[in-house]
Formats: sequence, C-alpha cells, structure tokens
Amino acid sequence: MDCRAALMSIEAKADGLLPREAAAELAGHLAGCPACSAEDAAIEAAGPVLRALTGIRAMEKAPALDAMWTRVRAGIEEGREARRRSPWIARWVWIPAAAALAVFALLFYPAGTDRSPFHPSTFDVAVEDVESDVATVALVDKGEDLPRVIWIIEDAKS
Amino acid sequence: MNEGGKGGIPDDALIRTTLAGDDGAFAELVERYKGRAFAVAVGIVGDGDDALDVVQDSFIKAYYKLKEFRFGSNFYTWFYRLLVNQAIDRWRKSARSAEVPFDESWLSGDASPPDSFAYPRTPEDLARNRELGDALQFAVDALPEYHRAVIVLREVDGMAYDEIAKVLGCSVGTVMSRLHYARGKLKEALKTHREG
Repeated sequence: MDCRAALMSIEAKADGLLPREAAAELAGHLAGCPACSAEDAAIEAAGPVLRALTGIRAMEKAPALDAMWTRVRAGIEEGREARRRSPWIARWVWIPAAAALAVFALLFYPAGTDRSPFHPSTFDVAVEDVESDVATVALVDKGEDLPRVIWIIEDAKS
Repeated sequence: MNEGGKGGIPDDALIRTTLAGDDGAFAELVERYKGRAFAVAVGIVGDGDDALDVVQDSFIKAYYKLKEFRFGSNFYTWFYRLLVNQAIDRWRKSARSAEVPFDESWLSGDASPPDSFAYPRTPEDLARNRELGDALQFAVDALPEYHRAVIVLREVDGMAYDEIAKVLGCSVGTVMSRLHYARGKLKEALKTHREG
C-alpha cells in the first residue's frame, strides 16, 4: 500500500467503512510510515478531542444545565401569558384590514399606464342574472359616465 | 431511536401525555435530552452561555410545536432539527461568527511529528492542554455552519449518517462530503498543534 491509498483508507477507517483485510494492510503501512501514522492519529483524535471539548463546556455549565427545566418552564409560562394578553380580535383583525386594502387597491390603483386613478362618487351593489345559470354580485360605480363594474363575484345561483 | 427503552417511558407516550396537558411529561423529555442537546449546541455555537440559551429556546419551541410532531418518527430527530437551526441562527447573530475568517495557511504543513505524542481524549486531559482546546475550537468556528453541525452530530452525538441527513434536510451523500471536509480541517488543526 502506498501513502495515497493509505490516506484514503484512513478516511474510510474514521467513517467505520474500512473492510477488515484493508484495515490490516493499512496497519502494516502505518507501522513503517511516520507521516501517514501522524495523519491517522490526528484524524482518529478529532472526534474524541471534540467530545472532550464539549465535555469541558458541559462541566462548566453543569449547574445551569441542571436547572434547564426551570428555565424552560419559565419560558413556556411566559409564552402562555403573552398569548393570554393578546386579545383574539387582534389575531383576526388582519382579515377585514386585508379586505379594506384590496378594495382600496381596486379603487385607486390605475390598471394601465394610460389610465388615471379611479375615484368613483357613488356605489351600488347589484345582483344580476347572467345567462340565467349564475348569480353575480357586483360592486358598480354609477358615476357621471357609464356604469362601471369595480368588483365582481360569480357563484352558483343556489 | 425512541428513548425510554431501559425501563423508562417511551418518547411517544410522553408526547401524548404532554399534549393531554401534563407538563410533567415534557419535563421528562427535557431531562432526557438536555445533556445531548447542550453538547450539540455548544459544539455549534462554541460558547456555553449561548448554548444554554439555544437549548432552552429549542425546548420551548418544541413544546409549542409539539402538536405538529408525527407519531412514529423519532422525537430526537425532530427536536434536533429545531435545535440545530436555533444554534445556527444564534451563531449568525453572535459577534464570534464575524471574528473567525478561515485562513488556510495556518493549517498547512505535513512534517512528521514525534511518535510519542498522544492526543488528549477526556475533558480532564484536554483541560490540561488548553492551547489544543483553543486550536480545535478555532478550527470548529472556522467551519461553515452546516459542516460544523454535521461533525458535531456525528462525533459528539454519535448520530448515524441517515439520521443526520434527516435532521439537516439533506442527502446522505451531502452529509458524507461535509463530514469529510470538516474532519479534514480538524485533523489539520490537530496536526498543526502537534507540530507547533
């Protein structure tokens, strides 16, 4: 086994994917190659040293970690309190607000570049039959000019 | 894995009891996973206090999202997804994320070190070699966030590749390539320290 193959085997060994025969061959190479041996030692140590490092942090914070449920429970209670304080109307107010915004957008936003914003003076709601199988609800402007449909919903007549 | 196999109550049962209104069952889940969660969080954010906040926030988030949990899947995989995302968010907001630009040059070199060298393998041994701990932490901090998450989940938590893939929402191949990259960087950091 040459050093290049050994380095690939070292990586596979670290992943636990090196077959037994290849492991024996690698061990033979490592015994006579200080450079690959150092490589192997470092890669094998990465996991344990990382675990040791997090272990040190855990020991430093052990008292706070012991009290984790107290902290979590406090956070849960805080969340409940916040939900209790916010009235249900505040949670649903976006619906009429969104509807109002949509109507405003329809009324005052010019649809084409050559059209000026539409400022109707009067409105009427009409229910009309169209081809006698659909009921139509329309918001209609009966201004100075011809009646103009602003908003329309079609639904089954039933 | 559904914990509680050693005589304890299974996770699924604790979740059902929590959803029925018993917070004590959720306390049991917190006790069961807080240690592992902290190890993963501190591996990603680096700082112990930040890690405690991440663990706390993740459990609170899990409590309020518990009704979205799909029974039959692993609680800890589901919970770790929240935890890792929370940790990565925390890392991005922390000042430390801007402090550690990755510099390839300090990791280079392949000289043969003395044969007698042994890396510390326990917290006690590592505590006596603070410089090595700092060097490794620096190398971990310099990894891209999701590479860091992969190496921590694999080496600290001992998760299988497919579980890591579920937690991070990526393929097993991506997990393996990130792990290869991250492990290589940590290896170089250890070698450089050994040679220095």
